[in-house]
Amino acid sequence: MDLKQFLLQLRLDPSALWLIIALPLLGAFLCGVFGRMLGRANVYLVACAAVAGSFLLSLSAFLSVSPLEAAQAVTMENAFSSGTIRYAFGYDFGTWFSAGTFRVNFGLMVDHLSGTLLLVITGVGFLIHLYSTSYMSHDDGYWRYFAYLNLFVAAMLTLVLADNLVLLFVGWEGVGMASYLLIGFWYSDTAKAWAGRKAFVTNRIGDFAFLIATFLIVLLVSAFNTQATAANFSMVGGNPEAAQVRYREGLQMKGPVAFQGLETMANALHVTPEKAQGGVNLQTPISEGPLEGRTFGGVLTVALLLFLLGAAGKSAQFPLYVWLPDAMAGPTPVSALIHAATMVTAGVYLFSRMSYLLVLSPTAMVTVAIIGTITSLLAALIAFAQDDIKKVLAYSTVSQLGIMFMGVGMGIFWAAVLHLVTHAFFKACLFLGAGSVMHGNADETDIKKLGGVRHEMKQTWFTFLVATLAITGIVPLSGFFSKDAIYHGIHHNHLHGYEWASSVIYYMGLLIAASTAFYMSRVYLLTFEGKRSPEAKIPHAHESDWRMTTPLWVLAILSVVALFQALPLMPGRGGVMQPVMENFLGPVFSSAERIAARGGEVKLDHSVPSIIDYLKAWLVALAGGAAAGFMYLKFFPSRAGQPAPAFARSVRRFTQNKFYVDEAYEFLVIRPVKNVSAILYKLVDTLLIDTVAVRGTAWVTARLGSALRYVQTGDAQAYAAVMALALLGGAVYALILVMK
Amino acid sequence: MVPISYYLILAAALFCLGMFGVLIRRNALVVFMCVELMLNAANLTFLAFAKQNGHLTGHVSAFFVIAVAAAEASIGLAIVIAVFRSRGTVSIEEIRTMKH
Repeated sequence: MDLKQFLLQLRLDPSALWLIIALPLLGAFLCGVFGRMLGRANVYLVACAAVAGSFLLSLSAFLSVSPLEAAQAVTMENAFSSGTIRYAFGYDFGTWFSAGTFRVNFGLMVDHLSGTLLLVITGVGFLIHLYSTSYMSHDDGYWRYFAYLNLFVAAMLTLVLADNLVLLFVGWEGVGMASYLLIGFWYSDTAKAWAGRKAFVTNRIGDFAFLIATFLIVLLVSAFNTQATAANFSMVGGNPEAAQVRYREGLQMKGPVAFQGLETMANALHVTPEKAQGGVNLQTPISEGPLEGRTFGGVLTVALLLFLLGAAGKSAQFPLYVWLPDAMAGPTPVSALIHAATMVTAGVYLFSRMSYLLVLSPTAMVTVAIIGTITSLLAALIAFAQDDIKKVLAYSTVSQLGIMFMGVGMGIFWAAVLHLVTHAFFKACLFLGAGSVMHGNADETDIKKLGGVRHEMKQTWFTFLVATLAITGIVPLSGFFSKDAIYHGIHHNHLHGYEWASSVIYYMGLLIAASTAFYMSRVYLLTFEGKRSPEAKIPHAHESDWRMTTPLWVLAILSVVALFQALPLMPGRGGVMQPVMENFLGPVFSSAERIAARGGEVKLDHSVPSIIDYLKAWLVALAGGAAAGFMYLKFFPSRAGQPAPAFARSVRRFTQNKFYVDEAYEFLVIRPVKNVSAILYKLVDTLLIDTVAVRGTAWVTARLGSALRYVQTGDAQAYAAVMALALLGGAVYALILVMK
Repeated sequence: MVPISYYLILAAALFCLGMFGVLIRRNALVVFMCVELMLNAANLTFLAFAKQNGHLTGHVSAFFVIAVAAAEASIGLAIVIAVFRSRGTVSIEEIRTMKH
């Protein structure tokens, strides 16, 4: 039996999907509860085996939805319409909770989008587990570390596999918690514990917005269900009346937050009143409920903007990106897995998952794109002057996530997902390389105090170089193609009413690309090239062992190989060759495409970048890299010893202090909140509750008691006299009553 | 037949005698006897009403009161003896230690 036959036979039963999540969860339980008893080697085995098992199951799930032969394509029944969902499968494990007409099911689903992410999470996750077994070999908290890491993988898989918003939110919160636990892993160091807390609080702000957005979606769906007419469902396919009945059955069966239902609703919502023929459109006001009088389109835009705030928290976008650079307090493999490859891409995943809603609102889209641009540029500029190797990589991550948001915002979803994947490879490689450098240089992170590591750490050097070239965008590495695919899409897609955005964001993108090339080359040159700094902690670096270098090699190879996904090799619509990834993700984004084509709100372009476009992008990257090379190999060494001009120093200080954004937040948000809390604390807590309510009661009781004490004379006859008087009083009262 | 008011006046007089005894006398033993007087005044009332209404409840209550009085007397006398043994006196004025 040859390999193809074997792969064709690999099928995962949909009802076994829960195993993908359960394996790492079980690993987390074993490591966390019995970790100390099991010992170091067993914990390594359990943690790695759990993720490896999950990877194999994911691979089998992935192959089930993307068979090698088209004839074997799986289809899945759509609960909300008579059509089927191609290249997807899922399983509904039944009701999780319900209240009235609202219900949430525990349903898992794999399609091409979540399948791709499954492989990235479990694949890169496994490599990082393997790496960690060497990186954490001197740490006593190994069992805690692997328990958290497994817990993270389980939560991330829940996020990706969920077929409704609420279950996705469970994973969303789960990864946030795991991230908090791992950032503050060395909690005895106060600064690191605070970094964890900062990440958690910042994420909570975003999560709150996410929740409100979910509530809005629930209200929107119920309003749509009441007001929609059969005319709406003429576009869903089949007989309109039957389609509407089917949609209502779906709502009863799977609840309002299921993605399938949202997709059907997006398909049925008309964009303009002209085409609606009495059906509900984006300008129709909602007739009843808390949102009465607001239009469908308006509520949808607000919900998407709130989702953007939620995604900004998790994916480190402006204005909530500040936690990510501080998150580097955690162990380096954690930074690679959570804060570069997987968790921080959750926002991109969320918007890709709900692409059909996004294309209904150009306002929300352009906001996403602008936020992405601002974040990306800001982070790239800050990265210029950072001296901590992990900090540079952190800001670079923020910047690359910004590029993905630009792509999502401008409607080039497939390229954003492709960049997510390639970024996961090369950024994980960079972080692991940085960890390897730290490991071999007595935990030195200041690139000014490294230098010349190239000769002593050959494997780390080579893989780091490959990843640097990939992120810089040098042909023929994957980063070049994925980034260029995003830029090309941004340039050629148009949002109705925001036509200016395409060019502005495109040129900003080129600037960001040049900046990326500059700061990444700077990090590479200062760390690996030149002479070893006299300030280095130890005179000679040593290469890490195989458990650390193997993941480096695999990731370096992947960051080269992944380029094929951007090559136009697949036959697409009208015989034009499409990039592999675009073709692959086609079924996922088909609704978005259809809605965009129908409504005219968004124009999505499908052309392939020409040679000129490639050349432009390549030149930009080269220019950035060359500038860095000139500055750090020629210019600065030749001027060594001379003081820099005053303006250069002030600019550098300004950049090094991250444009004082943290200080601005401190001044604008944290200080006022703290002051208001202090006032409330003094007024309500200390004065009202502590003094008046608690101590006041005690004081009155004590005073009264000490006054009444003197009545207790010890003379039994005096007590009897009081009783007799009371009796007399009672008798007199009775007499008066009788007399009346 | 004697009208019920006579019984009640007698009972009230007995009760007042007992009460003043309790309030005024100093000897604990005499105080106890006065308490018995009050209890029997209450008994008399019960029986008077029982006779008038032809109910058995009043008789039953009187028996209860007698039983309680017996118990009270036995415990009270035991306390008086114990106090006498420890302090050598049964005067109420002398035993005022349970105070503020």
